[in-house]
Amino acid sequence: MNAEINGQLLWPSATRTNKLSGPSELHRRPACGGYRSQKNGSGRSLTLQNFPLGKRPAFDKISTMESSAPVAAAFAAETIGLTKRYPLTWKRKVLVALDHLDLLIKPGEVFGLLGPNGSGKSTTIKLLLGLIVPSEGEARVFGLPPDSIEARRRVGFLPENPYFYGFLNGDETLRFYGKLCGVNGPRLDQRIEELIDLVNLQNGRERPLRSYSKGMLQRIGLAQALIHDPDLLFLDEPTAGVDPLGSAQIRDLILKLKKMGKTVIFSSHLLEQVQEVADRVAIFSLGKKVLEGSLDSLLTENKGTQINLPADLSAEQQQRVLAAIGQAGIGASEGDIRFTRPHLSLEQLYLRTVQGKIGSTTQEPDRK
Amino acid sequence: MISALYRILTIGRNTLTEAVRQKVLNVLLIFSIVLVGCSVLVSQLATPGLDSAGLFDAQIKFVKDFGCGAIGLFGFFIALLSTAQLIPQELHNRTIYTILAKPVRRSEFLLGKFLGVVLLLALCVALMSLAFAATLYWQELQGLQATKAAYTADPHWQSNPVVVNLYNHDVASIHQQTRDPQIIEAILLIFAKLIMTSAIALLISTFATSSIFTIVTTFMIYLIGHMEGTARAFWLANGAHVSLWQSGLVGFVSLLIPDMNSFTIVDEILAGNKVPWSHAFNLLGYADVYLIVLLAVSIVIFDYREI
Amino acid sequence: MEIPASTVSTCLPLAHRLRRAALVALLLGLWAPAKIVWEQRIAHEQDVLRYGGAPMTLHLRDQLGQGLTIGVLSGMRSVVADFVWLSVTTSWMTEDWWQMGAEINLCTALQPRAPVFWDMGGWHLAWNASIAAMEDHTQPNPLRRLKASRFWIDRGRDIYLRGIENNPTNWQLWRDTALLYDQRLKDFRTAAYYYQKASEQPNAPIYLERFSAIMYNKVHANDDLSAYVAWKALWERLTPEERQMKQHEGDRIEKEIRGLEQKLSIPKEKRVFPN
Repeated sequence: MNAEINGQLLWPSATRTNKLSGPSELHRRPACGGYRSQKNGSGRSLTLQNFPLGKRPAFDKISTMESSAPVAAAFAAETIGLTKRYPLTWKRKVLVALDHLDLLIKPGEVFGLLGPNGSGKSTTIKLLLGLIVPSEGEARVFGLPPDSIEARRRVGFLPENPYFYGFLNGDETLRFYGKLCGVNGPRLDQRIEELIDLVNLQNGRERPLRSYSKGMLQRIGLAQALIHDPDLLFLDEPTAGVDPLGSAQIRDLILKLKKMGKTVIFSSHLLEQVQEVADRVAIFSLGKKVLEGSLDSLLTENKGTQINLPADLSAEQQQRVLAAIGQAGIGASEGDIRFTRPHLSLEQLYLRTVQGKIGSTTQEPDRK
Repeated sequence: MISALYRILTIGRNTLTEAVRQKVLNVLLIFSIVLVGCSVLVSQLATPGLDSAGLFDAQIKFVKDFGCGAIGLFGFFIALLSTAQLIPQELHNRTIYTILAKPVRRSEFLLGKFLGVVLLLALCVALMSLAFAATLYWQELQGLQATKAAYTADPHWQSNPVVVNLYNHDVASIHQQTRDPQIIEAILLIFAKLIMTSAIALLISTFATSSIFTIVTTFMIYLIGHMEGTARAFWLANGAHVSLWQSGLVGFVSLLIPDMNSFTIVDEILAGNKVPWSHAFNLLGYADVYLIVLLAVSIVIFDYREI
Repeated sequence: MEIPASTVSTCLPLAHRLRRAALVALLLGLWAPAKIVWEQRIAHEQDVLRYGGAPMTLHLRDQLGQGLTIGVLSGMRSVVADFVWLSVTTSWMTEDWWQMGAEINLCTALQPRAPVFWDMGGWHLAWNASIAAMEDHTQPNPLRRLKASRFWIDRGRDIYLRGIENNPTNWQLWRDTALLYDQRLKDFRTAAYYYQKASEQPNAPIYLERFSAIMYNKVHANDDLSAYVAWKALWERLTPEERQMKQHEGDRIEKEIRGLEQKLSIPKEKRVFPN
């Protein structure tokens, strides 16, 4: 699978602070006081009028989002006070899997759902897919109820585990799901060929899925999620159990999909990967959304400046830099300033090694 | 509408493929075909050491009863086992998530799965019926051979018109029993009964939490269904003479449990008695409407089920 | 996050659950009365077709045992009856006549519309059992042997008559009864009656139509008048074409009538064959 931008295999650098993205205002919601499911006369939809605005972050591909058009058409996915409770009859308790979630995801975004196990990420995805019914609140996908046929025509889903039929081979699987999505005839044949190439599954297309490895199952899962060219993709732990090469390929695919204007909502435990692809994230804990915003705004430290130089500095040169900083009147003492070497991430090192970019594997970067 | 039917058909074919690729069902089918064939042996047991020309009636009765009985019994097991694990397996393996994430309604999913079972049952009944037809044909050959042997003992038999008449009468009697078009009627009624059993199992599986529960409950309803006629007659006849509890119980059975015993009219057909097609259509119509009701209730329950 | 159940009302909206229950109740409520009516109609049609079988009473259940009861209850009545019939054959071979009689009763109770059980059951009793009783020299008194033999003949006749009640259009059972009166009881007049009834049933072989008249030839006092009436009635029933057909044996009928007209000195103007 080849996904390239500007001729090189894509991975952003480990830190994002040197990346200049436009005005990065924190797009924070008021904690716990935002949107309850307020049923007014018409009942349901959230309009721009009652949406507390700060400055909105800039997105590459989004043109005129700010308008007085109804929000229902402007969001790929939205939830208003979305709640899901499960009865635990024997314990005489109720499990609150999701507690009054308010979320707005714009078309073309890559949105990450983060959180520990049991924090409500999968529940959110299932509610947005219409697989389960909310106890309270509302969810919408492109302004439509998530369990409607029209909404699901525009949605693709890669489940966390391979929830496919083991007795079907790769071709049959794609054909089956394609037909269910209304793709058939020569168009389906063409689409299957395209997707088999995209996910690099030529070897496995004649074999039953029960003989597939985990990586192959993820790939066929992606292929079936894309069979009908959906506008919105839900990826539940897309790189779980996949080797680093495979998960890099999946990451590249996500970026490619973003370039094509698709919206991607995915959940993951692998924070570094989320950092590399997501535009915005939400962090969940115990069924509640604790934090939400663009990565730039969330990860940028409020205070401080980092300067990267391509050359090594000797001790004497470091002293001269310190003196210059002292003269600039910034008000930082010597102890506050540190000189360190840039670090690769372990994943970057692994990929470079595996893909033969570094000849020797014995070299270790210095650490100070 | 067309696209909905297409989706139902797609799921149905997938279900049939899954069932056909399962070894358990293949074994059951092979066993049933063998048993249908063995009905011939059982018929020999019934009339040991006797002149088979004269006792063809008894032998053919055995072959018909055992053959159709095997179709009914094994068809029942196939219907029950394949339907009972239809929904639980999808829920357990979570393959239902992937399907319902596609533009497929829950009702279409359920109907598609049921269609798959119907196609499977049709295939199994067709194969077993072929085996049954083969045994009937074999029995006919045996009967004709024995009859001929009995008459040709007298070398001048063909010159006596009375004897020839008797011979023709015997041959016609054999053909009448082995080539009775009413056998098709019987097999259709057996098939209808199997479909109803399957629909009951589907209904229970829409709210049951395990396959075992579905299997046991469906089997009990199947048995109680054979006594529903008695319960209904009792309930309609005895208005005020029984306690509310008894009346309620019998009433529940009469109002909700299907009358499975009405399908044992198949025994009459196989015994050679005339059962008009109008009656068969009446029964088939009853089964069809009951099927629609069961499927509608299944769809309602499944639509609201947490998955 | 788990919270006590009392602090929240529901996990699913109430309207959601009520809607489901209401729909199910509506569907079943509409269907239930229609179901009863339809089933009654089917049951009535099946009564008319004279489909039946003894109801599953405790008595029948005791005779069948548990396994076979389940078989009957699950709609395998005919197969169960066939299984029981296997033991009839066994009892016949072991000459356990009382056991055989009980099993014949059971089979015919399970499937009264299967003529083969009545046909062969009656044969087993009226011929096999009765002849065995006649030749049973463990009983030294010949009169007692005759009485025992007659007992089994009567049992066989009961089976045939009940078979006819359940299968009134089955020519074989009428024929079997006639044969019993003819061969076992030597009551040729009654045999003639049953042969006549047999010949009137659908699909009856043609030769039976003559047997009734032939029986009168065998009457002890040679009841020529009854025989003449029977032969004449047969001749008049046949069409001119049928009289020419070999299977109806027109020549023989004519010969019998001529002989009897002569013997009884029927006036020429009243004869069938005046010449």
